[in-house]
Amino acid sequence: MKKSMTQSQKLMTFVLSMSLYGLSTLFTELIPSFQIGIVELSVEYFIFIPLILAMLFDPLSAALGAATGELVFSEIMLGQFGGLGELEKFLTLTIGIYVAGRLVKNPKSIKSVAIASILAVIIQQSLGCIVDILKVQFAVEDFEAVAGLPESVFFTEGFACLNDILFSGILFSLLPCMYLVPKLYGKIEPLLGVAPRDENTVVGDGEKMGIKTFVLCAIAFVVAIGGEFMAENGLAIIDWEAAWAGNSTAMIVSGVIAVLVIVLAFLKIKNRKEAAM
Amino acid sequence: MHKITQTLLDKFTIDYLRNQVLKNAYGNDDTVIAGLDPRTLLCWYLFFGLIPWFLNDLIVLLGMFVFVAITTKLAKIAPLVLFLFCLGVFCQTGYLFIAALFFGGNLSTLYSLLVMTLKVSVCSLASITVFSGLNPDRLATGLLYFGCPDQLSFSISYAFRILPILMEEFQNILLSYRLRGHSPSKKTWLGKVKYFIYQIKIIILSFYPLMLNTAKRSRTTVEALELKGYRYANENKIVRKKKMASLMFKKDDLIFVLISIVWMILCVIISILF
Amino acid sequence: MIEINDLSFTYPGAKQPTLKNIHLTIEKGDFVAIIGNNGCGKSTLCKTLNGLIPRFIMGELQGKLYFDGKDALTLDISEIAKKVGYVYQDFENQIVCPTVYEDASFACMNYGLENYEDNVMNILKVCDLYSKRNDYIWQLSGGQLHLLALAGSTALSPEILILDEPIAQLDPKHAREIYEILKELNERYHKTIIVIEHHTEYIAQYCHHVILMKDGSIMWQKPVKEALTRVEELESCHIFPPQITRAAKIMQEKNLLDSNTLLPITIEEGQNIFTKKKHMTDCTHERKVQEKDERVVEFVNVGLQFRSVKGEPYQLMKDFYLNIYKGDKIALIGSNGAGKSSLMKMMIGLLKPQVGYVNVCGEKTKHYSAEELSKHISLVYQNPEDMFIKDCIRGDIEFAMKERHIKDYKDRAKKLIELFDLQDIQERDGRLLSGGQMRRASLAIGVALQPSILLLDEPTANLDIATRKEIMRTLDILKDVVETVVIATHDMQLVCDWAERIIVLSSGYIVKDGQRHEVFSDKYVREMVGIEPPEIFKMGEALNIRCYEIDEFVSAYQQEES
Repeated sequence: MKKSMTQSQKLMTFVLSMSLYGLSTLFTELIPSFQIGIVELSVEYFIFIPLILAMLFDPLSAALGAATGELVFSEIMLGQFGGLGELEKFLTLTIGIYVAGRLVKNPKSIKSVAIASILAVIIQQSLGCIVDILKVQFAVEDFEAVAGLPESVFFTEGFACLNDILFSGILFSLLPCMYLVPKLYGKIEPLLGVAPRDENTVVGDGEKMGIKTFVLCAIAFVVAIGGEFMAENGLAIIDWEAAWAGNSTAMIVSGVIAVLVIVLAFLKIKNRKEAAM
Repeated sequence: MHKITQTLLDKFTIDYLRNQVLKNAYGNDDTVIAGLDPRTLLCWYLFFGLIPWFLNDLIVLLGMFVFVAITTKLAKIAPLVLFLFCLGVFCQTGYLFIAALFFGGNLSTLYSLLVMTLKVSVCSLASITVFSGLNPDRLATGLLYFGCPDQLSFSISYAFRILPILMEEFQNILLSYRLRGHSPSKKTWLGKVKYFIYQIKIIILSFYPLMLNTAKRSRTTVEALELKGYRYANENKIVRKKKMASLMFKKDDLIFVLISIVWMILCVIISILF
Repeated sequence: MIEINDLSFTYPGAKQPTLKNIHLTIEKGDFVAIIGNNGCGKSTLCKTLNGLIPRFIMGELQGKLYFDGKDALTLDISEIAKKVGYVYQDFENQIVCPTVYEDASFACMNYGLENYEDNVMNILKVCDLYSKRNDYIWQLSGGQLHLLALAGSTALSPEILILDEPIAQLDPKHAREIYEILKELNERYHKTIIVIEHHTEYIAQYCHHVILMKDGSIMWQKPVKEALTRVEELESCHIFPPQITRAAKIMQEKNLLDSNTLLPITIEEGQNIFTKKKHMTDCTHERKVQEKDERVVEFVNVGLQFRSVKGEPYQLMKDFYLNIYKGDKIALIGSNGAGKSSLMKMMIGLLKPQVGYVNVCGEKTKHYSAEELSKHISLVYQNPEDMFIKDCIRGDIEFAMKERHIKDYKDRAKKLIELFDLQDIQERDGRLLSGGQMRRASLAIGVALQPSILLLDEPTANLDIATRKEIMRTLDILKDVVETVVIATHDMQLVCDWAERIIVLSSGYIVKDGQRHEVFSDKYVREMVGIEPPEIFKMGEALNIRCYEIDEFVSAYQQEES
């Protein structure tokens, strides 16, 4: 018999993932990081929380819940909101968790749990790394020409990525998942009124993970790059003689954009008013 | 490093965190900033959050910085949030500075780094003013207005509802570990590192009971949401309308916008003069 | 009017149906109590009435359910929501908005009602929350939260209100308040009210009809008087009729009361049936309370204040002095927020007073961490779920000893498991146990380190009366394990039966400190703190008898005979 989750059970997964992961971001935000040489030992995120939920329940709800939780709890509540740039983290996190959740066919198999949990971090971190590198490439015109810049960017970003995959991936994803998934399996499901997941459970919209998922993830990733790029367009990460050096041009451009933004916003307000009438 | 960690750990308790987050969310709902219409503030944020990225003029940026610093002060932001802000800014630019020096940058980068720091600070302070200064419900309504999905605005208001409960539950579980567990001695340097690792370990372990306890709760919550027609409301637009109706521009909004504009013009004039 | 016809329901994966062939009719304007032991299907029945089953909870449903003649299974959820309001047992989780007014109007807004504001304001007035309408949820007390959950489900003006164990978590003062409000809703606004309840004293006073459920079926539905006087049948289902009824029943059996008399169910009825004593008769069993002089806890000139979210810090205690002696059996009573938990937290070293000091077993808490103090003193939380940090209760009991490298921890854990009768469930996760088992397990965890002082926060909250008796027996076991025990509680029966010393707290001050007769006979303190003595004590008071238990009450009339 095929089993699938009802809408309200998905909502439960969402709420659970949002509140738990959100709470954890409040702590990870505050735990200081250690720097030993160039190796950074930082507790970046407790990604195991949404990963476990994605493996045991509905992957998409858990993934979206986690991303929303981070946005709401740590960005908005603690005032760390970075505007459109947050879109990148939101989407890469969603993709990473969703893919990992879909990969696990049977939560009882420790091997697949282990692979999926480390893969989630690899996906999330590499996507983030690619976005970061692209960002600098686009932003700085003479990217290749600036002394030391390409090397430093590739090196710092690449190393940070590898560092995070190894450190966060193993300590905060792989080990906790391997330890907790078997412990929670069969225990947490009855509390939500859900049957434990096994091979017969229909996950996602019923299809095998295939081209559609992949395409969706790809689109989401492009949007993530777009968002990040829009947010930081013109931000030359390190402003050596960057494109926006001319003062007057910058003034004019910023003035025009400011006016445009505000006009757009007020048009929206006006439209709303009329629609409401 | 471990000294900072130590003082941090001593100062920082879950109770303190809870108090600060609540203070930030609800303790400042009688300030000038909180009295403004969320739409005004969001538009204002769009300006102060975007424009600095296009500017390289030190004086204008300084002017903007002073202005957002004043609004932050007006919004009565909790100390913890301000501390996090400083830490964040330091990490971002300090880190870059060292990396650039290492790969053959030179001291002239200091100027651009200052500009960079100012940009980051203006944006962050603007966001702190708006997102922490407003109470979450008004913020949610404002976001709803500009077309954010209902789920997000619900999530915000629900998050603020559930946070105190979650924190308390978490605090109790952590307490179980603290009272019954045995933490390493903090006397030596190695002991301190061990203590720190132990703390993180019990935070992770605490999520196991917390997940189960929260699962129990969220079932009731979701059932109650269904009964109260949460999903029903997402399908029809009356809720949106009702919520929109609570928004109103007042004289204060106009004054606030005018002050912002005048301030910006003054900054630009000063910058051109010098 | 509700009509249920041959209704059965089976949860997915369950072998047995949870509801079996239910036939039931509830008249409009009735005030009904559903009783039955745990797991008999009471909550499932109510979730069928409010439409959660079969719309959001899957399972196999057969039979028919009619509201005013309309088939409920064909109704839309919004239509059902306007007919039935539901208050959960864990009501705090059903409050989803951050402020009072918002939460009360949440449903109205979602269903897009026009001009609901007046209606919501009105219901807030009925529920005594009008002055708090702009407050945040976390500023409310437990009792107010419950009222808000009630207001939130009443705001759509449903004809039927269902409450799942409304008073389980409330102190007696708030419990009465809730029932008074339900009474008003029933009488003035003509709502049909259905409560799942096992406090038969309240049923006797407020309800009109009683439905008894057993194993998923309805045994009978009777008027309250007839229902509650079926003492033997109720007791066989682990339900305890009001103390007065039980006392009268015993007296009938002992021929102290005419066997044709209708048993009384309330104090008023009791006054007509029992003869009043001319003089004050004291029937309390002699209890020897030894003088103690060895101090184990000392509060000296303690001042305590809290950070508050807004404005000035909040001062809870000032110039506070208290001594606790070795061997004390203390009950701490007082309404919510009187300082009971703060007092306990100071003893385990979690809160350190700003002024003065606390001494525990000769050590100032100021100089020690809570972890170091835990070898002397141990606290069992109100919510036992927070005590379970391992995946089985044996692991939990062993945990503290193992962490402290106690060599024979396995044997000691084994002994505790036997002592608290946990052998059969030692491998299970604490959270998935029944209420009584959870409490027993949490007590075993609390004494694992062999502390000399044990603190218990509300050990009988949320338990039905049969389970409460089980906990009382467990407390007797504790007498041999721990010397000094302090219990913070609202449960006056527990106070009467167990405590040798009672400390009454009110807004950070000790207003009374003494034995039970000193506390319960002080009407002024009773009034001020909102203490509701056991019903049998109040019955005795009306008849010039001093007693705390049923057999003491009965003995008052036996003496007369002999």
